[in-house]
Amino acid sequence: MSKNHYLARFQKGWQIFILNPLGKTGIILLIVFMLMAASSFFIPLLDPMYDPMTGIDPLIKESTGPSFHHWLGTDNVGRDLFAQLMEGAKVAFIVGLASAFISIVLGTTIGMISGYAGGITDRILMRFADIIMIMPSLVVLLILASLFGQFNIWIIVFIIAIMRWPAVSRVIRSQALSLKSRPFIEASKVAGASDIRIIFRHIMPNVLPLAFLYMTFRVTSAILVEAALSFLGFGDPSQVSWGMMLQWVWKSGHMFQAPYWLIPPGICISLLTLSFYLLGRAMDEVLDPRLRKEEERK
Amino acid sequence: MRTRQYILNKFIEITIIFFIILTILFFLFRLSPGTPISKMVDPSFTLEDQNLLIEQLGLDKPAFEQYLIYLKNFFTGNLGFSFHYGEPVSNIISARLPWTILLFTSSTLLAAFVGVVLGKIAAWRKESAIDNILSLSALVCHTLFIPWFALLILWFWGFKLGWFPLGGTLSPELWITTCSPLIKLLDILHHMFLPLMTLFFIHMGSYLLLMRSSMLSVLKEDYIITAKAKGLSEKIIRNKHAAKNASLPVITSVGLSLAFSINGGALTEQIFTWPGIGRELIFAVSNNDYPLAQACFLLIAGVVLVANLIVDLLYAYMDPRITY
Repeated sequence: MSKNHYLARFQKGWQIFILNPLGKTGIILLIVFMLMAASSFFIPLLDPMYDPMTGIDPLIKESTGPSFHHWLGTDNVGRDLFAQLMEGAKVAFIVGLASAFISIVLGTTIGMISGYAGGITDRILMRFADIIMIMPSLVVLLILASLFGQFNIWIIVFIIAIMRWPAVSRVIRSQALSLKSRPFIEASKVAGASDIRIIFRHIMPNVLPLAFLYMTFRVTSAILVEAALSFLGFGDPSQVSWGMMLQWVWKSGHMFQAPYWLIPPGICISLLTLSFYLLGRAMDEVLDPRLRKEEERK
Repeated sequence: MRTRQYILNKFIEITIIFFIILTILFFLFRLSPGTPISKMVDPSFTLEDQNLLIEQLGLDKPAFEQYLIYLKNFFTGNLGFSFHYGEPVSNIISARLPWTILLFTSSTLLAAFVGVVLGKIAAWRKESAIDNILSLSALVCHTLFIPWFALLILWFWGFKLGWFPLGGTLSPELWITTCSPLIKLLDILHHMFLPLMTLFFIHMGSYLLLMRSSMLSVLKEDYIITAKAKGLSEKIIRNKHAAKNASLPVITSVGLSLAFSINGGALTEQIFTWPGIGRELIFAVSNNDYPLAQACFLLIAGVVLVANLIVDLLYAYMDPRITY
């Protein structure tokens, strides 16, 4: 397979993807959120009072509604909600992508080993995956928080990733199982390739597209779990995430008085989740021709 | 006979897994920062008091012996004392459990039932206006951020309109003055309505989507064409031939999505101050009440393991093609 072949395949996939209304909506939403995340780097430079964590408007003593200086209003100590919302987009991307990436790496590696090795290794690894898969991640994070106290954001990311690899490894495993018996694997075995080389050199390139498809779904669940944890008050207190904003509006008792504070973070979490979900569905169709509509298949 | 063997094997497996979880928790507790009693004493305790406490709790014994005591206590139903309530943990758990079961089962059953029926209709009228509306709203329900949705419902129905109470399970003053069971029941239902609706909408979306896609793939099967060729009425094909088979994956998904439902249930309980296990766990974690948190966690883990076994068996019972 030459480079050109991959390029052609990618272009064809992209065409299907972009023609798909789901994919298009997903991409547009995602771009909006990326712009929001990018803007979070510039807003605090305008004026220190727009810093999402420490910036306090000296003129404001309590939560106020939208105004010229504060487009979405301020929270109860005079911090700008718009700046917090943008910062939240950045945190959501960091949490979602980092944790999805770690769980994909873990899931792909374990799935390939399990499928390729077979036998007792396979059984133990997959039973282990099953158990982790059925455990509610928020509840596990809560019990860990009760043991170890407040977590830093990277530890939360890592724990979510550990809770989330099994679904990936199940899929990758079944792919590896079917690849294992293909002639080209036999050939490289005969040629004397080591197991590790076969796994990473010959099986991995074939399962990677699938792994990336699963990454989009992992991103969503990671963002949701982090948001829920922060909402309950066990998030990283030094990060302004959307869940944290909801925790503040709830804790400070402004929930019923300040809809301008309550509504935006929730809409953002839901829409970002939706965009990754749509993206995943559209990619599903690119990779699995059976899901495409009848006329496109001809 | 084979089935009985299968159940027995599975049961042994679950026991072993549960045992492993217990062991992991024990060692995590020892790994956690601070001395073992730092989670239960305040700084005003003198050193002698602390030493006395360590001795009383058997924390001066070697680790392995402590582990054995821990296991023995667990299997004799002694889960320790809650620091906050000063009561045995098992009392608190048994007081909270019925509320969680009530909310959880009613919302799951309702959501699964409505989701299956609507998913069936959506798939049957594929790509019509009704399908588009149903699928889109299911998608929205599926991706909503649960606590936020719950807060919005609480804000609108509880605060703005004031039709429903803001939390709790009953109005105490009503329970003192009346003794008619009907009014008491209605009072509980009145309090339960908002959390029930929250959980219903969130879960209904995923059941609908799942049923729709499962039904679509069943409708492509040969036996549906046969049924059509035989001249059976549309209604019979839809309800008897297609929907029954299509709802099988939905049953498995109840088991697989249990983790998701428990997360959602805990958040909903927390927002509507519903005194269930999930809220108790969150409360215990924020008050550093480790014995209580541990008991809630073990209960949830146990329920998840057993529920998955039940779903497995139910699936085999409903789909005769599967034998163990």
